[in-house]
Amino acid sequence: MELNPNVPPSAGRGRRIATAIRRPRTQIWFLLPAVVLYGGFFILPTLASYWLAMYDWSGLGPLGDFIGFDNFRRVFEDQEFRRAALHNLWIFIALFVMTNTVSLFLAVLLDRKSWMRGPYRAIIFLPYILSPVVTGFIFEVLLSPNIGIVNPALDAIGLGSLQHTWLADPRTALPVIIIALAWQWNALATVIFMAGLQNVPPEMREAAITDGASPLGVFRHVTLPYLAPAFTVVNVLLAIFAFRAFDLVYVIGGAIGAPNGATLVMGTVIYGNAFGKGSFLDVTTRMSYAMAQGIVLFVILGLVAALLLVYLSRRERRVH
Amino acid sequence: MSTSALNVRRRRSFVTWVGAHSILIIACLLVVAPIYFLVLGSFKSVEEFFASPFGLPKSFGTDNYERAWTEASVGTTIKNSAIVTVSAVFISTVVSCLASYSIARLPLRGAMFWRLLFVGGLIVPVQLIMVAVFITMRWLGLLGSLGSLILTYSTFGIPLGVLVLVGFFQALPKELSEAATIDGASDFQTFRMVILPLSMAPILTVMILNGVWIWNDFFIALILSTKPSLETLPLGILNFFGVYSTEWGLIFASVVISALPVVALYLLMTRRFIAGMTAGSVKG
Repeated sequence: MELNPNVPPSAGRGRRIATAIRRPRTQIWFLLPAVVLYGGFFILPTLASYWLAMYDWSGLGPLGDFIGFDNFRRVFEDQEFRRAALHNLWIFIALFVMTNTVSLFLAVLLDRKSWMRGPYRAIIFLPYILSPVVTGFIFEVLLSPNIGIVNPALDAIGLGSLQHTWLADPRTALPVIIIALAWQWNALATVIFMAGLQNVPPEMREAAITDGASPLGVFRHVTLPYLAPAFTVVNVLLAIFAFRAFDLVYVIGGAIGAPNGATLVMGTVIYGNAFGKGSFLDVTTRMSYAMAQGIVLFVILGLVAALLLVYLSRRERRVH
Repeated sequence: MSTSALNVRRRRSFVTWVGAHSILIIACLLVVAPIYFLVLGSFKSVEEFFASPFGLPKSFGTDNYERAWTEASVGTTIKNSAIVTVSAVFISTVVSCLASYSIARLPLRGAMFWRLLFVGGLIVPVQLIMVAVFITMRWLGLLGSLGSLILTYSTFGIPLGVLVLVGFFQALPKELSEAATIDGASDFQTFRMVILPLSMAPILTVMILNGVWIWNDFFIALILSTKPSLETLPLGILNFFGVYSTEWGLIFASVVISALPVVALYLLMTRRFIAGMTAGSVKG
């Protein structure tokens, strides 16, 4: 219930001032709760991360020495972090290929009118709402050498020689994680493509068909251009999904990236440095260093997302 | 068009029809088969897992579920999950509704700045700031209470809430609130009596998106649950699995229990879920 003292009482503005006097400045009260929460538990911690990343601090006890950008330099020399970043890149590439082929194809099939469309869509989208713990557990038990069904199934169809301790072999552990991530990611990718397909005006397609275009030609020259915005959204979200991956990877590989660091991603390395690797071998924490790694991850993510966004939106403009 | 050409076209469209449906059915099987295996497993005893990996369980008794409730402490962790999810969804929705309304409709200076500040939170990696949130909570003495979880989830739900709701409020006709103001309603009365009743659909979208995320998340709980009595359901399952990795039936049952509320809600409101998820992502 206060007056705004900054409004000068000049002539001709009488009406506006009258309104200002009559109306209390409630907009501040509307905004305040969000600002307090968000400022205290989001903005402040983010800024504090940048500041603390310049110290040599384990996270416990008093703050260590100020070491400037030393932590950041170490991040780039850190073999473990570089290996993890490479794994993130593999995840991104594999899912990128799958998204723009399999998910797109499924979306096109789902765009056809059919009474089964609802059920198909509901089932294909289902993995997206399952928690990472549920998904990770499902894949872990399917491939388990004790109770899994993948090995017995291979045996049953005469491919017994392919039986494998999938998650204990460094060569197959990461591919398994990629498949689990793909299982979940495909749901969202397909649905976004489907939403994009609904923007294609049916008249355009009919016109192309009347002009004698083949189904493939219609897809190439009519459908794809209209899908450009969906491509942008899907691939930018994918970059965020792939480079920020943590939950599912942690459930399957843990903070040590079992086996032998083969499933480490940047997210799990950061967690391991900040809170210890959870094993009896390594309980040391390096919180400041973890924050520096987190900032590097943030910058990488920002760069990849920005590059994709620029490239894909240029393409969007070109096709329209 | 000659009859034979028509026949060729018909035959071709039949082949496409069969092909399309087979591919979709295979895709659906790839989704459903692992879930089916999970649900069946939740009724099996440990011996049955080894004896018949593909077979049906001998009985569909609730033994595993009862033991999971007590021995895997699902009874406690599900209560924590429920308290945290319901409180955080409530706080987050109220707070982002109010903020979005002031950004979209009230004479707020720097509305664009506030909007970007809130929505920008969507791209910050949780891993980066959770370390600092942990330190903040420890400093405030909130570590070791469910309050720290509720506050963190409420805060992290704001970016999505603001993203969806500002867009919606801006699309509402201005005349609605102006009419109420002329009739002498305060900003808050206008908001509650005129705007809120019209905004139930996007609010529900925000509640679903944040609710599913909070119920499923274990990362924030992993960092802030400093003692077993504070564990949420996903975290409890993860820790139980780490210690008793041979109690398969119990773990299967806990996993099914954890997924059940979300899946049930999803099956009841599939359309709203899918629409909400695409709304949340397309605008982001």
